[in-house]
Amino acid sequence: MIKSTTAIIELENVTKRYGSFAAVSDVSFVVRAGEVVGFVGENGAGKTTTITMLLGFTSPSRGSVKLFGREVRPSNAHKSHQNSSYASGDMALPEHMTGEQYIRFALNQTAGDHRKRYDELVAAFKPQLGKKIGDMSRGNKQKIALVAAFVTSPKLVVLDEPTSGLDPVMQDVFLDTVRAAAARGTTVFMSSHYLQEVAEVSTRVLLMKQGRIMEDLSAEQLAQRGGKIVTLVTRHRPTLPKDDVAEPVVTRHKERYETSFGYTGELSVLIKWLAGVTGVIDVSINDRTLEHEFRSVYESEVGNE
Amino acid sequence: MNSVFTKTLRDKRGFTLGWFVGCATLAALMVAFYPSMHQEGTIDQLVNTMPEAFKGLVGDLADLAHFDTYLASQLFDIRVSLLAGIMAIILALGLSVAEEEKGQLRTLLGLPISRTALLLQKWLALTVVLFLALLGLVVAIYALQATVDASIALDAAVRLLMMTWLVLLTIATVTFAAGMATGKRAIAMVIGIIVMAGSFIVSTFGASVDWLKDFEWLSLFHYFPASEVVRNGIEGGNVIILASITLISLIVALLVFRRRDVN
Repeated sequence: MIKSTTAIIELENVTKRYGSFAAVSDVSFVVRAGEVVGFVGENGAGKTTTITMLLGFTSPSRGSVKLFGREVRPSNAHKSHQNSSYASGDMALPEHMTGEQYIRFALNQTAGDHRKRYDELVAAFKPQLGKKIGDMSRGNKQKIALVAAFVTSPKLVVLDEPTSGLDPVMQDVFLDTVRAAAARGTTVFMSSHYLQEVAEVSTRVLLMKQGRIMEDLSAEQLAQRGGKIVTLVTRHRPTLPKDDVAEPVVTRHKERYETSFGYTGELSVLIKWLAGVTGVIDVSINDRTLEHEFRSVYESEVGNE
Repeated sequence: MNSVFTKTLRDKRGFTLGWFVGCATLAALMVAFYPSMHQEGTIDQLVNTMPEAFKGLVGDLADLAHFDTYLASQLFDIRVSLLAGIMAIILALGLSVAEEEKGQLRTLLGLPISRTALLLQKWLALTVVLFLALLGLVVAIYALQATVDASIALDAAVRLLMMTWLVLLTIATVTFAAGMATGKRAIAMVIGIIVMAGSFIVSTFGASVDWLKDFEWLSLFHYFPASEVVRNGIEGGNVIILASITLISLIVALLVFRRRDVN
């Protein structure tokens, strides 16, 4: 079994340019064995470009990409694929094949007996095995791609927006599959727009923006950074607490003021402050989530522009 | 269906069957026309009314006298080269750029399949599909030759088939190589069309147009003199030239495809 200190993915000063446009700029990070890394960012942030370099579909313009300690190049990427698998939300599967034929085709490229795992995944995802892939809906194609990705029990699973076409029930099945794989020691690297699902399963989150890694947070750091998000609707503009307040935004709607801010101090102090605010119409206090983190990174930049 | 090779053969089974039937139909028509074509004098009068440059489209009139040389000059030398040349280009584009355009190449490369194995297995499938489609020519000739009271020796038919296959494989491989090396349909298609149409024009009109004669060696069809293949057998030099072009194209494609970005 791989020790948890073993580096599975290593990116060092990776840049990918298309002409004068840098899709990925000077990105460095290491993913260790057993980690479930959520890779988030807006459309065009460079997530998929990074993943294509990880998989050896493309090569970096500068820097190095390593999987399992070996430099990944288009010419040798198949060696690391012996221990890894890949699925994406818009994966183009061979349309002439049935679901079962494709999964077996993928299985036949690797050694080992995976029948038990195959049965488990088929029971969980309920894919349309006998139907031609070309006749399937997007969600059903994704189920096939996900079964094929997890069926060999690889050491690394790379996923690019894996649940974008799945219904809520299948999203839960997917999250359970990721948790089960992680429990067996599989490293998962997953890009997603669904921050809730990333927060649910990830042990670490990388937040990418404009081709750069803006945040690299472990689940613990995320929780510590967490605190509360306070939203208050009042008839008068309130005076905010003096300490532990972050990113306050006050918006006036006719005769109402909507105030929201992050709060990391003692809850009792917050409640005491709230008691002193006059003309309160509504109040909500929620845990700070990955979504707030995401918005904070993106909206702070928008504010600066 | 364990390999890219068998998967590709399966993906292309409709294409193979369709072109097998197409080649067989073409051969059947040419066999059916044989009695009227080899009647003395009728075709001579027609040819004499044609402009000098177009006489190459008919070939040597002496070839029409015998069934085997008639098939060589009228079926294998002209029509098959052109029609099956189009088939070869369509097939090569389908196996190279089409899969990449659909994103399916990334799906395959996401599996533990090396780029070298992927390219070679696809090319191997291309050679088999081409051969099976062209087999329709010989099947139809042998099925129908008795109806026109004529016959072609099996070894002559096999020689014609093998050389047709080799010429078309060369055209297909050049197109396939351009597709795999660049991933660009437009580039691969233009290269394939230039090679095939250029060869056809140079070979067809080279016989009658003096200035084109100097360039006949540039035509791939120059290395498949069909009537000569029937009379004297396959010339080793022609095979070496066609095989070399095929091999070099394949090596260049491999070298580039192993390194380039796949979309």
